[in-house]
Amino acid sequence: MSTSTTGAGPVAANPEQAAAAELRSAVARQFGRSLHIRTLDTGSCAACEQEIRMLAAPHYDLHRLGFFFTPAPRHADLLLVTGPMLRAFAAAARKTYDAMPGPKLVVATGACALGGVYQPDAFSYGSVEPVLPVDVWIPGCPPSPLALLQGLLVAVGRLAEKAPALSFVVGGSS
Amino acid sequence: MPLWFIRGLRRGVVTTRYPARPDPSASAVPTPPAFRPEAITSGVGDGMVAICPSRALARDGDTLIFDAGACTACGRCREHAPAAVTASGEFELAATERSGLVKRIQLAGEVSQ
Repeated sequence: MSTSTTGAGPVAANPEQAAAAELRSAVARQFGRSLHIRTLDTGSCAACEQEIRMLAAPHYDLHRLGFFFTPAPRHADLLLVTGPMLRAFAAAARKTYDAMPGPKLVVATGACALGGVYQPDAFSYGSVEPVLPVDVWIPGCPPSPLALLQGLLVAVGRLAEKAPALSFVVGGSS
Repeated sequence: MPLWFIRGLRRGVVTTRYPARPDPSASAVPTPPAFRPEAITSGVGDGMVAICPSRALARDGDTLIFDAGACTACGRCREHAPAAVTASGEFELAATERSGLVKRIQLAGEVSQ
């Protein structure tokens, strides 16, 4: 299993970033081998759920990496949140998060959860961030199972994130 | 002996080796756009900003602001300006900072404010 790269990055000068790096390595130590995932649909169209479901199929087989789905937030280490966070669901989302034992991770999944598709209005917050403290963002509409796998591995510090270095310019530094 | 067992033996392992090795199916999924700054004039840029259904694009003077987190990889900007936009082919887009997904692209084409 490739565990050579971590998401910790270079040691930062300011104490806040150093603390974050330390926390990340602690999370990697605790979650590096086995992690239980609770999915939370906060009003998505179910395309993200479809892709998440595919993770358990033979081609992707996320169990080989030590990830498991659990139906109970009390057994979960990671909350995989999809959808634009409907206001009617916010209380339930907070309760789900509070029911999880610490340390815990929140991963916002898909363009809705990242604030791309819906604007904040009377019905939804437009993104997950106003309600839950997000640790990792996975873009995509929906994110492919490989993108989800990479996001989960970034969340537990087993893979370095690539997105901040990408420029999205043809022939650029990406 | 059940047929699925024989079929499985014949086909071998189907599980991807990702992340140890790249997955060949990764190139089949839609990916966010990659831009050619020299081909984006203000008209082309504003057209793309107007056509983007998920507000992933914005223009700030001679800078195109692309939010990869908001992008749904629908391909409308690519259709609007095929000369200026291609598919990036990037799918490993997870980020630990939301701001890490917002890119500022300096436009080199003829741009009017």
